Amino acid sequence: MWMALSYASWGISIVLALWMLYDWFKVDTTFSEEVLTSSREGELEAVSEKHRI
Amino acid sequence: MSRYTPPEQSKAGQIFDIVVVVVAIFVALWLPLKMGLAGAAKSIDALDAKTWEALGQNPTMASIWEKLGYTPETAHDIIQNRFHYVIDWPTLIIMAAVLIGYFVFLFRASDREYRDVINEKFDDK
Amino acid sequence: MTVTLEPAVHGDRVSLLRVLGPAHVWALGVGIVLVGEFTGWNFAADKGGALAALIVCWVVGLLYTSVAMIDSEVTSTVAAAGGQYAQAKHIVGPLMAFNVALFLVFAYTMLEVSDAILLGDTIVAKAGVEGLTHNSFIAATIVVLAWLNYRGVLMTLNVNFVITAIAYISIVILFFSVSPWTQGAVLKLNELVTPGNALPYGWIGVIAAFQFGIWYYLGIEGTTQAAEEVRSPARSLPYGTMAGMITLLIAAAMTWYVCASMMPWEYLGITYYPLWDAGKLTGSPLLENLLFIATLLAALASANGCINDAARAWFSLGRDRYLPTWFSAVHPKYRTPYRSILFLLPIALAFAFIADLNQAITFSILSGVLQYTFMSINIVMFRKKWPLGSIRRGYTHPFHPLPAIVLFCLCVVTFFAIFLGFGSQLIAMVAFYFLISLWFHFYRYRFVRRGDQFTMPWPKPQGY
Repeated sequence: MWMALSYASWGISIVLALWMLYDWFKVDTTFSEEVLTSSREGELEAVSEKHRI
Repeated sequence: MSRYTPPEQSKAGQIFDIVVVVVAIFVALWLPLKMGLAGAAKSIDALDAKTWEALGQNPTMASIWEKLGYTPETAHDIIQNRFHYVIDWPTLIIMAAVLIGYFVFLFRASDREYRDVINEKFDDK
Repeated sequence: MTVTLEPAVHGDRVSLLRVLGPAHVWALGVGIVLVGEFTGWNFAADKGGALAALIVCWVVGLLYTSVAMIDSEVTSTVAAAGGQYAQAKHIVGPLMAFNVALFLVFAYTMLEVSDAILLGDTIVAKAGVEGLTHNSFIAATIVVLAWLNYRGVLMTLNVNFVITAIAYISIVILFFSVSPWTQGAVLKLNELVTPGNALPYGWIGVIAAFQFGIWYYLGIEGTTQAAEEVRSPARSLPYGTMAGMITLLIAAAMTWYVCASMMPWEYLGITYYPLWDAGKLTGSPLLENLLFIATLLAALASANGCINDAARAWFSLGRDRYLPTWFSAVHPKYRTPYRSILFLLPIALAFAFIADLNQAITFSILSGVLQYTFMSINIVMFRKKWPLGSIRRGYTHPFHPLPAIVLFCLCVVTFFAIFLGFGSQLIAMVAFYFLISLWFHFYRYRFVRRGDQFTMPWPKPQGY
């Protein structure tokens, strides 16, 4: 039973790793680099949290 | 103050920088292990008489050891494996110097960079 | 607050998603740390005896209470992914921030590695099958959790909440099923911890025990990494962190009491599964299996939180161009720093296959203590540059500067403790940080935009 579990673990690891690689490839080819790296620090604070007292 | 415009980094340069960081991480973590520096001074103070009494275990302790599957012979190497704390002054002084030097450099160099940041951020307005 | 939960924000911009509440913050903090009760803290007993483990449990608890208080104040004000990294960038300066981010990535990745090794070893020990190695379980742990993190932060931390809660409850169940109110039946504290063996190495053993005492709580400061994904950081972060700290203090005390009352300190100091062993020693198969599963769940929760935190720290480095901007990509659908998650995955795997548990734990502790030293100085500078009243703080910690001083002193003691066990490693590690700092200061920083790094809507700091 434990051996089967061990093989299953390898299987799951490989499947999920491949899926992530596939998704990564898909996202990187579908969207432009500008959109993907458009996150900016403190963006929401500027609108939502007013540092006034 | 004029705004600082950083140069654009080439793809190859970016990849090279990542490689530098990754290699540095592996070297930092592996060198001490490879050189056998890791681990504290622990050594076995061997006893001739291998009984629970000689190992300093009272009946309660002995019964627990036995419940865990140990005999005085097999437990001997665990119980008598002791630390020998010695303060090695040269190493301690080197360590303190390295740590203090590191933090002093960190705060001074950061402050120099920080002044640029503040100047650019607040003089623009 | 005007926070949007819709998929698209700010035109065609993608950012991390603000979906978390205080319970997630608690799950992130406690989830990372709780594994320390299942393994790691007991090495403090090895270093200085059972009583030393209790002393450091409380004294290091004080250190971490200071950490939690200081962290809550700064992070409820500087609410950005990267946590202490963003704090350092706004308060001390870019080079410090770069170092802090590396401390974070190291501490969390090595902790993740330790968790995966622990999980693999626990399963192998339970199975007792010849030829079964821990590698497949390590790989599955790291890959499955990376996948979970890749797919979204809300699910990741919901899972963490559930498994952390189960692991925590199992400690409570163990505690109450050994009738803690009567000594002599199951618990035999006075026979196991005697005046003769309570401190076998004397007080130097207590100091040496600090190194692993850190393991009772290491990682609670990771709550701040969620700052950009929490719905109301100013409220949730202090609340979740403090609640987490209280939870952990209780768990640590219960764990020590049960384990020290059931195992001789020499055994306690070398076992990798103190709580599971305690479960076995009760003689109840139910408790034994419960604690076995809880050990696995605690390791999973911890590794899960670590992947989350390390990826956010790495992501923030890319966003500020401290590292190539390529890392700062956010997944347009799942809204996670997917490239950072993927990049750190093989590194964690590599170390999990080649390092052993003790080494991985030590690397993690070292980076943690360097970070706490920074925090104690950071808070003093924060109060100086922006005194109370100059900006809005989500939380203001009491008794300043006492917690900072306590934290700093305890860090110095811990450095000494590490010197007693792993002095050469500490020097090698600091040498690494020093060299990479030179690289950053004199080379890499030229690619960083200066003024853009300061993103908080604050007034100019005093003295500049």
